[in-house]
This record gives sequence, structure tokens and C-alpha cells, in this order.
Amino acid sequence: MDIDDILREVDPVLHQIPQETRDLQDLTRAWVAERSTPELLPWPSNGLFERINDKIKRQIEKVEEMTGDMDPKTNFALIVIQTELERFKYLVRSFLRTRIAKIDKHLLHYISNDNLRTRMSQIEEAYARRHQLLLHNHYLNSFLGTFPPAMQNLNDTAGNISMIDSPDLDSAVFIRLLKDAEIECHGVDVDGVLTGKEGDIVILRWSDANGLVEKGDAELV
Amino acid sequence: MALPLPPGLTQNEVAFLAEMEMVTVVPRQRLDSIDLLGGKTPQLRPPHRAQLPLWLALLLKKQRRANIVPPAWMHPASLAEIIHRETKEDPEAFSPPPPPPSRALYSQPGTARRLNPSYVDDFTQTQQNSQQDPNSILSPPFLPSNVAESPAGYLPYHWLEVAEALLTHAGDDMPAPAGEVRSLLRDLVEVRAAKMRSSTSALEGFGDAYLTLRGVGAMELAENRAFLAGLVDGVRKIGASAEATRREEEEEARRGGDYGGDGDEDSDEDMGL
Repeated sequence: MDIDDILREVDPVLHQIPQETRDLQDLTRAWVAERSTPELLPWPSNGLFERINDKIKRQIEKVEEMTGDMDPKTNFALIVIQTELERFKYLVRSFLRTRIAKIDKHLLHYISNDNLRTRMSQIEEAYARRHQLLLHNHYLNSFLGTFPPAMQNLNDTAGNISMIDSPDLDSAVFIRLLKDAEIECHGVDVDGVLTGKEGDIVILRWSDANGLVEKGDAELV
Repeated sequence: MALPLPPGLTQNEVAFLAEMEMVTVVPRQRLDSIDLLGGKTPQLRPPHRAQLPLWLALLLKKQRRANIVPPAWMHPASLAEIIHRETKEDPEAFSPPPPPPSRALYSQPGTARRLNPSYVDDFTQTQQNSQQDPNSILSPPFLPSNVAESPAGYLPYHWLEVAEALLTHAGDDMPAPAGEVRSLLRDLVEVRAAKMRSSTSALEGFGDAYLTLRGVGAMELAENRAFLAGLVDGVRKIGASAEATRREEEEEARRGGDYGGDGDEDSDEDMGL
């Protein structure tokens, strides 16, 4: 038997981080990552947000129950719970607002591409479609209707330039390496290979950092 | 509704993130374990020390229910050593970040802690998951870099925010008069800001693919992020056409090499005369 298995049997609590702490860490990482990249990242998988929403709802109910109880001891616990709830809600709100800002900036880009559409959650996708529809109708009513029919398209790709705005995938991002890694980087004058050690903070292009972040070898800072 | 800020964390957000760091407190009152969204808080029984997130520690301190134990790296001797290292030993780069948390357990001598704690309850899956699970690698603010046992002589990632918070709210808990620690911190901030400035001036004509900033702090990053990112993006946009031609030339050279050097021979200008 592996020594780790023996240790775990002796004291299982010692070696595991509880699910809630892990959720908080995942939420924090997702928030920092979303705030740092120019393009929309995939919606967090493994049901993270559903769990967090549930927990927030239950915590709000608990707070409402405890507010009725005027015992001074529970009063302090109430303050702590409320403070932490506000922090959690701030994280969730900031995360969602960032994603909406990115979707708004490049609506057609995210809706038209199938791969990118899967990155949005269902609610976000519905929002994006409705927004695009409203915008399109507004444009049609204001000025687009007066154009000749051949020019009324909003996603024209003729003439080698696409009308759809896409996010700049080469903008600079800061990453922290979680493992020693060799990264191929592209630059203006030279292309280099970076031998990074764990704990390095590097600034490079998002297109180069993308693979690493997805694999989990680096995180955005 | 949509967040109007450009990409990158602002200083306020970095401060918010830093408040999630764990610190050691010495409680003055008993407090039961509270069920929070981020896990259960440990039970507080004076005079035993406990580790709490910074925001909770500050709350307790303000209500005079606990004292905060400053981390070892905040001791004036440690700060002086770091300043010496920054100025004399390594004037170019920042001082190295703290080493990963030790595997020996402080509280239970003789026991070792797993480097990558497994997250899966099912024991059979543990062997496969523990090597690949990216979540099992902890990083700031979830590394225990500001508790009392943290190694001295290294500046953790959120050093400035944590130091400021502790000095402002828990100045009486410091090992030395707060004024002394504050002046040392100020020196450290200046030294590192000067390094940051000199590294950006070296970026003039930045054509390299990457830039390493090992050991930089969170607040320093947040302050200079807009400038650095703007610089790198600006240089990239200005040099975009030059870069495109360079890549085309490289591609052609590669293709020319593949076809056995035929690329340059069929030139339109060559009339065969």
C-alpha cells in the first residue's frame, strides 16, 4: 500500500480540502482569469455555478432566520456570515458582469461561431441572441432599412475584411506558472522559447498563454 | 450592467483578493465554528492560535475579540535582509518568491503532508487524478504565506496589501514599533518601484516575445499593469506589418528549403536571357 493511502486512512481530514473551500478557490481563479483575458473563457464546468448559487440562496435564508433571533452570541455569527455573503456575491457579480461586457463587445463573433457559442452558459446565450435581435431591429428601423438590400448585411465578409469584430487575441496578459514549462512565444522581432520555472510571472501574448492556461500549467494573474 | 473596466485587475480588486489570505490570530474570546460559504471557520479557544482569512481576522481585531500574529517576514530584521538583497545582491531582478509550503507538519511532528492533496473521495481514482488535477496546485492567495509560520526573508505575492492592512488595524501587535516597520516597508516599496521603472525603460523597442517578472508583488503588478500591457500592445500594433512580412519570409524560406531550393529560381524578373 502506498504511504499516502495509509496516511489517508489514519486521518482522512488531514489530506483533503473540503468542497466549499475548493469551490471558493475555483470561483476566485475563474474571476481573476475572466478579468484578465480579452476573450470569453469557457463557462466553468462541473456545476460550479449551480452549486454556488444554491449555497448563496440557502445562506440568505439562514441570515433571514438568524436576524429574528436577538441573542447577542448569534448576533456576531450573523455579522460574519453577512460579511462573507457580501464578499461571495461581489465575486459572482463581478464575474458575470465581466462576461457580459465581453459578450456585448463582440456579439456577432460569439453567436456566429459554434465553438464559441458553447463557451457561454444558456442564459448568456439567450441574452446575446436577444440583444443582437434588438440591436439589429433598431439598426434596421433607423438607417439600415434605407440602404440597398445588397448592403444590409451585418456580417459581410466580402473584400477580405470581416465586418464582425473579434477580440484581439494577441494582447498582452500576465500569467503565473504553476509548473516548470517551456513555452513557445511569438514577438515582433523574434520568436523565443521561454524556459519558465514554477512561480514565474511572465507577460506574453494571450494566444501563446492560452494553451497553458487551459492545461492548467499556468494561471492568469 | 456590464463591467466597464479594461482587462486586468484594478488595485481595489487586488486588495479584495489579498483579504482572502490566511493569517494567524490569537483569540481573546471563545467563538464556535461558523458555517461559512467558503468552509467552516476553526473553533476559537483562547489562548490557542488559529488560522483565519484576513478579512475575518481584521473584523475580529476591530471588535477586540482577537489579536493578529504578524507573519515572520514582517519582522524588521527580515525586512532589512530583504532590502539588502534587493539593493546589493540583485539590483536587476526582484527578490525570489517564498518556497512552496513545507511538507513537514508543524503541529504533528513526524507526519508529512501530501504535496498535492487529492480531491476525490473514491480511493481508486486518486492515483490517476492526483497527478493531473490542476486544482491541486495551490497558489496565492490560497498559499499559507502570511501565517506566523511562514518563512522569513521572502516576500509573498500579496506582501504590500497584507502589510498595510496589518499595520493600519493591528499596529500594536507588531514585533517592533509600527513606525519602524512602516519606514522599512516604504524603503522596500521605493526600491522595487525603481526596479519596475528601470525594467520598463529597458522595454523600449521591445521586440522580444516575453518578459519575466519573477518575484513581483500583486499591488506593483496592478499599478504597472496598464502601462506595461499598453506598451507591449502598442509595440505589437506598430510592428504588426513588419512582423507579418517577417513571418512570410520565414515561411517562404522554409518552403523553399522543402522544395530543394527551387523557391528563388523561378523569378518573374528572370527573363531567361
